[in-house]
Amino acid sequence: MFQERLSGVAMQVAVELFGIPRARAGVAQTSAAGSNLGDVLADLAQKFPPLAETCIDGRSLRAGFVVNLSADRFVTSPETPLAEGDTVLLLSLDAGG
Amino acid sequence: MTPALPHAGLIEASYRKKFVTHSVPGYHGCYLRVDLSTGSSARIALDESRLRRVLGGSGLGVDILLNEGAAEADPLSENAALAFVFSPLVGSPLTTSAKFAVVSKSPLTQRINDSLASSGFAIAGKKTGHDAIVLVGKAPRPSVLVIDDENVSLEPADELWGLANRAAQDRLRERLGADYQVATIGPAGERLVRFATISHDGRHAGRGGSGAVLGAKNIKAIAVRGSRRTEWAHPQELVALAKRLSEKSFGPATAKYRELGTATNLLAFNRLNVLPTRNFQQGSFAGAEAISPEQLSVARERTRSSCAACTIGCEHLYGLKNGDGSVRLEYENLFALGPMCGISDPETVLAACKLCDELGLDTISAGGTIAFAMECAERGYIDAPWLRFGDGTALIRALESIVSGDELGRLLAEGSRSMALEVGHNSIAFAPQVKGLEIPGYDPRGLQTMALGFAVGTRGADHNRSGAYEVDFSEAVDRRNVNTEAVPLAIETEDKAALMDSLILCKFLRGVFSDFFAEAAEMLRLVTGWDVTAAELRATAARIVTTKKQFNIRAGWTPAEDTLPERILHEALPEDARAQLSPTRLATLIEAYNRARGWTPAGYVMEDIRSL
Ligand code: SF4
Repeated sequence: MFQERLSGVAMQVAVELFGIPRARAGVAQTSAAGSNLGDVLADLAQKFPPLAETCIDGRSLRAGFVVNLSADRFVTSPETPLAEGDTVLLLSLDAGG
Repeated sequence: MTPALPHAGLIEASYRKKFVTHSVPGYHGCYLRVDLSTGSSARIALDESRLRRVLGGSGLGVDILLNEGAAEADPLSENAALAFVFSPLVGSPLTTSAKFAVVSKSPLTQRINDSLASSGFAIAGKKTGHDAIVLVGKAPRPSVLVIDDENVSLEPADELWGLANRAAQDRLRERLGADYQVATIGPAGERLVRFATISHDGRHAGRGGSGAVLGAKNIKAIAVRGSRRTEWAHPQELVALAKRLSEKSFGPATAKYRELGTATNLLAFNRLNVLPTRNFQQGSFAGAEAISPEQLSVARERTRSSCAACTIGCEHLYGLKNGDGSVRLEYENLFALGPMCGISDPETVLAACKLCDELGLDTISAGGTIAFAMECAERGYIDAPWLRFGDGTALIRALESIVSGDELGRLLAEGSRSMALEVGHNSIAFAPQVKGLEIPGYDPRGLQTMALGFAVGTRGADHNRSGAYEVDFSEAVDRRNVNTEAVPLAIETEDKAALMDSLILCKFLRGVFSDFFAEAAEMLRLVTGWDVTAAELRATAARIVTTKKQFNIRAGWTPAEDTLPERILHEALPEDARAQLSPTRLATLIEAYNRARGWTPAGYVMEDIRSL
């Protein structure tokens, strides 16, 4: 946040998309601006409007989708802070098959 | 029609006249018991209180089997019983309800086995006027069991014996008529491969070897046709609810299944390092992208299909480039015949899936056992230098050898646990199985709630009886350092699965429910008229899980079986040092699970299940 204010440019995080999010966005990887999860999701929704229809509702995920940070922990709260170097993985929730 | 065998059994006319069912709506109130040794059949009444306690599908199946003494019998012997079980929802307008359970003791695990399959066989089977069809004994020669309403006969199957599933089903429908629904075993079931499937219309009652149980009874196929419908207690409300459910099934919760199918898990699991690779030696696979459905659909034809009475349609079929038609691709097939064996050639993986379909092999057990054999060959424990990870020709050759019965095939046909015990060298430490059932495509080290689900599962390592991976894919737990707080969450997924498998509804519908137990209670009320509540169904689900455990105890279960392979408990994933599960942590989770279930800390069920 401090760095963001200093530079006036929002932090960019890497985003990887899987399953339906990838199909909707039409890309496997991208980047988005924000220092917390909600900001990043909102930025993604703006960049890829089909994502907003299925996967993202404002600054939150729609039911059936989850975010994992850097192949480590799953998070849902829009207020989850993101750090430099984090990768946001956007996934469909259900497994099975 | 081919003449019936001399011993063919027809229900006695007097009995037929006398038998009038006055059952609760949704049920016929009886099951058909066919003794294949004597060619006789009988209808056995199912009273309402019994049905309400165990519902149908898996629940009713295990209850019937316990009464048949199946837990104590050798599953490949004449004494063994095998049940095709329908449910109160089959034939209703509720989406995804056209399913049946095949329940028996597993020849692979020697424990309870309930496999589910879908489509027209469920609807036609229930329309014969029975809530289940139970087979005991052994036909004197290869036979087809034909059930046409109350008429039951055995017909010769000599010209079908040896045929692959699709050919056998086509031939039988030509013989009997297109209005019969047919379930068959492939050559694997005939040869008593312990992970042989029962196939219907391209779908399989896949896990645990029910195809071998049928093969041991000399039954190549069952053909069913019927005209008896059950009533619904509140038909108008049921139709309205079914319409709402169908509408919800078109929403985002099922988009993944409709648009991409389950195979799309592959890349996500790979990224999370939980994609079992080269017999669980790694959790990610360098060749994953090449065999992912995202890549497969770029270069080849893809079509979509669905089971009868389903509005989701999760089945995605991929064309083979050699012009040999197409094949259904699921995540489990893809993982087991791809990364698990180190195969990154898409054509080989699809051809292997197709071969398993036709031979009637469970893909998870086939892939798991072959991957295990590949590691044994690599270590020099077996004399098969050609059997190498990543070699597609070797994979196809190994699959063929399972049914050809050559020396290696004879070992493979027993599954990885038995093979390890025969191979020696403590290879059981890396045999990828729990209770003899090969582990599906979720590495338990990185998904430790699922690890618990696998370890305690009554049919062995199984992703359909415990959905505990859902807990790991949430922020409720640290998936690589799970503690006992995960236990009730794991139990909740197991209970939900038990209820879905007994009602029966497809698990791919689960995302559309906001309160599954309450919504399931409403469905059951509208079908049966029972004043059933969510609380009652929670108790029913727990009872069904306990009944399966009771079956296993009678079959010889001991607490030592509730564990994971040594490799999983002693080696961290090479890609992720945090993905490590110690034996002590697993033991703590298991004890907490047993206590939460109301069993002894070791996992015994002390009370009589009938009084639960
Ligand atoms: S969602 Fe798939 S498996 Fe389930 S009933 Fe529909 S087509 Fe069959």
